[in-house]
Amino acid sequence: MTTELVTPGDVIGKVSELKAGKGAYVNDTTIYASLTGTRRIVSPLPESLDQRAIVEVTGHKAHALIPEPGSVVIGRVTKVMARMASVDILCVGSKAVYEKFPGIIRQQDVRATEIDKVDMHLSYHAGDIVRAMVLSLGDARAYYLSTAKNELGVVSAESAAGETMVPISWTEMQCPLSGQTEQRKVAKVGS
Amino acid sequence: MAAKPGAATPTYSPKLVGRSRLPIFKDSDLDWTRPDGRGFHQCRPALLQTGAVSSASGSAYAEFGNTKVIVSVFGPRESKKAMTYSDVGRLNCNVSYTTFASSTLGQGTDHKEYSSMLHQALEGVIIMETFPKTTVDVFALVLESGGSDLSVLISCASLALADAGIMMYDLITAVSVSCIGKSLMIDPVTEEEGCEDGSFMMTCMPSRYEITQLTITGEWTTPNINEAMQLCLDACSKLGEIMRDCLKQSTSASDE
Repeated sequence: MTTELVTPGDVIGKVSELKAGKGAYVNDTTIYASLTGTRRIVSPLPESLDQRAIVEVTGHKAHALIPEPGSVVIGRVTKVMARMASVDILCVGSKAVYEKFPGIIRQQDVRATEIDKVDMHLSYHAGDIVRAMVLSLGDARAYYLSTAKNELGVVSAESAAGETMVPISWTEMQCPLSGQTEQRKVAKVGS
Repeated sequence: MAAKPGAATPTYSPKLVGRSRLPIFKDSDLDWTRPDGRGFHQCRPALLQTGAVSSASGSAYAEFGNTKVIVSVFGPRESKKAMTYSDVGRLNCNVSYTTFASSTLGQGTDHKEYSSMLHQALEGVIIMETFPKTTVDVFALVLESGGSDLSVLISCASLALADAGIMMYDLITAVSVSCIGKSLMIDPVTEEEGCEDGSFMMTCMPSRYEITQLTITGEWTTPNINEAMQLCLDACSKLGEIMRDCLKQSTSASDE
């Protein structure tokens, strides 16, 4: 597996031998790099019809990181309203973004079951850190996010007393200082 | 910043050897000596560095003789000004001069059109589909204006975009040529630009060998233009090599 540094516009392969992956594009019959980084050849999946190897270029920085549909993001809840919650997206995958992106979690995307009986104020509070999945690019103002899976939801929240709460079930978190329980849509963390 | 101390600054002077026809304007035919003593087909040494602005996603600093520019790229990020949804990314360019950039007091000549010209040069080379809904902001600042400002701005902006990790079809390089009387000079300085009869600026993608922008002003004859084009194409590919070396150096330096 050869690795070498390439810059945008460098020729990295031919369409007859390789397929263009991330960071590469095809023009006519040649594959060019579109990023600065290391060129890698990835072997194809055994069940795919096209058995050409994939050539891709991986950059070294958190390059041009934006939320994409299907990616898992971490954000902070800024506002909770009757039918939706506003979230500031802070990380995409495991990398932090340079500047935050706006996202919203709608009432029907909070959980997978009984979606019409969801009370937004019993699922999130302003200031909670949530793990969510990007559903789509949304509208001009915000990305659409969803927490409708076991491992998505609130990962960290502060109680009314100001302490970080401990999760006790998928709907409740308890404050270690005052013993009071608060309701949230909790994410199932760990195995 | 990523320049090896003590390394000689490379230059991208083109050569006209190997052409079937002799150039029409020979060096001996001069009615003009260049203020910095260069030959007519000699370019200034090019100093390029990336990573000059640490708070930006990507940045580059270029020093071509007395022309010094710094370009920072922010993004892709949300833009408050963008009211409508868009499937492809947006590009926003802004070129400004410092008050001390030129030897004339105050603002000097107004270069408001440089922002839109930089936008035209860059929009052909950035792959906008890779960052939908977001905007890439390019801010260029001319610290000292010593001639061929726009060409240096374009080359430096392309280096900053590559440093920021924005997907592009290729790097772009820009070179300008001035026509004074019967002679053609590449990479003119401010004094030569002030008394030129015509100016020719070409922006091209060196690896793909495609031209993204061509700006011709003033009086030109057809053989003149052909020669200027050959000069620019050769200089552009050499400048492209210098830019690639700079990017590779900074990438390997940050890996260590």
